[in-house]
This record gives sequence, structure tokens and C-alpha cells, in this order.
Amino acid sequence: MTTLAWIFMLSSVSYVVGLMIWCFAKVLRNKSKRE
Amino acid sequence: MDPRPVPQPDNKMQWGTRLGIILAVAGSAVGLGNFLRFPGNAAANGGGAFMIPYFISFLLLGIPIGWAEWAMGRYGGRKGFHSTPAIMGVWGKGPFARYMGAFGVLVPMVIYFYYVVIESWCLRYAFAYASGGIGVDPAATVAAQVEASKAYFGEVTFSASNGVLTEGGIHASLWFWVVTFVLNAWFVFRGLSKGIEKFCLWAMPTMAVCALIVLGRVLTLPADPVNPAEQNVLAGLNFMWNPDFSVLRNPQTWLAASGQIFFSMSVGFGLIINYASYLRRKDDVVLSGLTAAATNGFFEVALGGMITLTASVVFLGLAATQANSGGTFSTGFFALPVVFARMPAGNFFGAVWFFMLFLAAITSSLSMLQPAKAFFAETLGLPNGKATALTAFICLLGNLFVLWFSQDLVALDTLDFWVGTFLIFLVAGTQIICFSWVTGLERGLREAHEGAEMRIPRFIGFIMKWVSPVYLATIFGFFCWLKVPDYVRTIFGADGTPPNKVALYSWGLILATITLLIVVTKVGANRWRAAGMDLDGRRPPDDENEGAR
Repeated sequence: MTTLAWIFMLSSVSYVVGLMIWCFAKVLRNKSKRE
Repeated sequence: MDPRPVPQPDNKMQWGTRLGIILAVAGSAVGLGNFLRFPGNAAANGGGAFMIPYFISFLLLGIPIGWAEWAMGRYGGRKGFHSTPAIMGVWGKGPFARYMGAFGVLVPMVIYFYYVVIESWCLRYAFAYASGGIGVDPAATVAAQVEASKAYFGEVTFSASNGVLTEGGIHASLWFWVVTFVLNAWFVFRGLSKGIEKFCLWAMPTMAVCALIVLGRVLTLPADPVNPAEQNVLAGLNFMWNPDFSVLRNPQTWLAASGQIFFSMSVGFGLIINYASYLRRKDDVVLSGLTAAATNGFFEVALGGMITLTASVVFLGLAATQANSGGTFSTGFFALPVVFARMPAGNFFGAVWFFMLFLAAITSSLSMLQPAKAFFAETLGLPNGKATALTAFICLLGNLFVLWFSQDLVALDTLDFWVGTFLIFLVAGTQIICFSWVTGLERGLREAHEGAEMRIPRFIGFIMKWVSPVYLATIFGFFCWLKVPDYVRTIFGADGTPPNKVALYSWGLILATITLLIVVTKVGANRWRAAGMDLDGRRPPDDENEGAR
């Protein structure tokens, strides 16, 4: 597997996973704040 | 005239929980396109380099138009409207936008005509794997196994000729279609919180677990003993992710990326508008919209992008994978059955995989049925049961058309191209123009920020007003230039080729459906006007009441 393939794969996957975790964490944090 | 909205049948409906609507919208977005269309699209358009136009389209089209849809839908709900034509009429301030909004009912409804048929194939495959496999001999050569997979696919989809669905008795696939059709109608009949939301709250985590089980198996596959250097997991990932930057100069790549974003995120379908219309005034739409989009991205890139082609390269090798990764169906239905035949416990993983595809498809198809039901309910004043029955009846006719004209899947392909691609550009374009220009960006963002748990970044406002419409128009121009002529030639014939009758009939079906929707929109507009509703969005926002809430 080439270095560029690793870079594209890891950065794309990290981005979507990170964005999803950040969003759900914010949703849950806001929910607990409201409660 | 009394400015209070007339009580609409759908006004009684609402979402039960915040997580419920996020997972329902994410479920609508996560579908077959994430697992079957995305990897093939990426591999054929530059591998890792495809992610550049993909994420640019995500930022310039998916996110801004998605947020606009969420805000437009919630505002429409406050006015007492839940259907795309009514809500577009409010934001577009008149009949033109309202009738363009009828396409926002046409798109999900016509996609449903064929999508639910594909969904029933997944159920049949899952059932076949759970009860012993689909008859691909594990000891045969790859070529023979691919042929066996194709033969089974032909048997499931009746693609050999038209009108064979009842030949020699009721075809087995029809029973799976009946089950799928009834399940969809039942969940939509049950309503938002008791039907769609309840199902998505269960189906989305189940889908994630199934996908993670298959992903775990794929990433731990041993290399092929005969050709370990070329048939291993890293070679598979390399095939999917190794970038070829030369494709970035090709408009086809940008077209493929934007098409993938639209189809995958369900923007421009008229679905999000309908779902968001059941939110309360102070419910957040910005963070919810982003969370649903991010969840879709996770399923597409982190799961869809790692599973299918990787497994295919390990078992089939590069050449066979390349030959079978061009289309949506070839990866999922030709290559993967060979993989499952060669894998230890392949029937188990095959059953898990196709059941996951079925869940992905049904959470999407529910979201296609609901906007049509809401449309008939509020235009004709029908109660829930009758609106569901009318929607189901029209979709039944559409389904039977696709099932009957099954040869080479021409009907399915024609409907997918003209409605599932061409019209999505038009609906999305109308939405962003109504949001950013007709009602105005400032007013639109103010509406989006009501109750928002995060701010829309300022640069996204600029993108919504200037970049998204221009980018969309450019991509649409390339689409008309590169893709439309071939399909027009297929329909009408050219250079001695006769017209394709099934493609022509499919066009007739689309025209008949849009005529029906426009007439019903007209009936609805008369009804709303008589009831004193603000169907042209003329009253100032502060003057509005809370509708039936």
C-alpha cells in the first residue's frame, strides 16, 4: 500500500469518524445541560 | 380572513426524541449508495483522489443545501405545512416554487418505485444466505463463480426478459417484494414517532453492528495462499485509496462526486424538508443536520470504503475486482457472493451483509414514502389511513411497472437517471435559490439559528448564497453535456438504432406521475387559500402563529 493511499485513507476516515463523534458528543452534552 | 392555519391531518404528528429525528434523517441518508455505489465510484474515479471533489461537494453542496432544507422544513411546519410543494411555495413566495416543489414529491416517490424492488432483492439474498447460500460452488474457479453469481442475480431480478414475474407460478422474488412493500407501508402508517422513529432507533445501531462485524472480518482476512503479494488486505485498501490525481482534470470525476453526495446525503430529494417540518419552533436544526450528515459520512467512507473492494481484491484479485466494480450492482451482487463463497463461514457473513443492506435500504425507503403520504394528506385533507393507502396504491403501480419491465433493468435505470439524478439537481437548485435569494439569506439564517445549538459559520452563508448555486449550475451543465445525450438517444433512437420502448414507457410513467402531482398541488393550493393559510409566504415571520402545535 502506497504512502499516499495511507494518507488519503487515514485522513478521510479520521475526518468522518471525528466529525461524527464531535457531533454526537455535543448533542449529548447539550442534552445533559438542559436536563 | 382568519390567518390561523386550517388543521391539517399531519399536524398531529411529531418526533418523539432528538436522537430519533437525527437517526431517522441519517437512516434516510444511509442506504445502498453508501455501501455499493460509493466504493465503485471512488475506485473508478481516482481512488483516494476522489475524496478531494467528494469533500468539496460535501462542503459546497451537501452541508449548505442540507441546512437550508432543515430550516425551510421546520419553518414550513410552523405555517401548518409538511409537504415540499407547500413549503417551497412559502420560501419561494408563489406558485412557481410551489409547482417546482411538486418535483420534491416526485423524486422520492419515483425512486421508491425501483428502490423498494432492490430492497427486496437484499432481503431475498439475506434469507438465501441464512438458509444455506445462493448456490455458488466454493471449489469452482473465480470465473465460474462470477457466472454463478450473475445467474442467481438474473433469477432474483428477472433481468433476462420482461413480464416473467408470474411465469410458471408466483416467482419467489415476488414474495420478498410483498413482504418489503407491506413492511414499508406499515411503518409509514404507524406514523413518525411510533413507526419511522421507533424503527430507525433500532435499525441504525443494528446496521452499524452488522457493518462492523463484516469490516472486522474483512480487515483480518489472510492473504490468498496462491498469490499473497497481490491478493491481501493492504492491496485491497490500496486499490480503493491509492490516489490518481490526473482524474481531477476530468469533469466526470466532479460529476460523480457531486452525484454521490446528493444521492448519499438525500439532499435535493424533498425528504429532509418533510422530516424537519415536524420539529417544534425551538428545536435545533443546525447541529442535528450536521450530526445526520456526519453519520452518513461515517457509514459511507469508514465502512463502505473499507469493506467491499478490499474483500473483493483478497479473494478475486485485482483484474476480477476491476471488471466487477464499475456499477452499483456488480460489486454487491456479482463480486461479493464470490467472496462469501470462498470465505470460511461465508454464509453467515453473507446473511449479515445483505441483512445490513436491507436495513440500510428500508430506513431510506421509509423516508421516500413519508413525504408522499404527507403531500396527499395535506393537499386532499385525507386522514392518515387514507393518505397511506393512496400513496401505497400509486407506489404499487410504480413497483409493478419496474417488476414487469425487468429486462436488463432498463426501466430501473431510466427512472434512476432522469429522476434519481437529473431532477435532484433541479430540486436542490430551486431549494437553495428560494432559501438564499427569494426569501433571502439573512432571513434564512435567522430561521436556521432559532434554537440552534451551534452557529452556522459565516463563510457557509457566503457559500449558500453564491458558491452553491454557481457550483450546482456548473455541475448540472456538465451533466447535461456529458450524460443526457446518451439517454435521449436511448429513448428516441439515433443512427439507425430504434427507440427503446421500455425507456419511452418509463418516461411516460414519469410524466404521468408529475402531471398527477401538479394537479393535486393545484387542488391543495386552492384548499389552503380558501382556508386562509399563508401559502405564498407573504405574511411577515413575526406575524405567524404556531400552527396546530
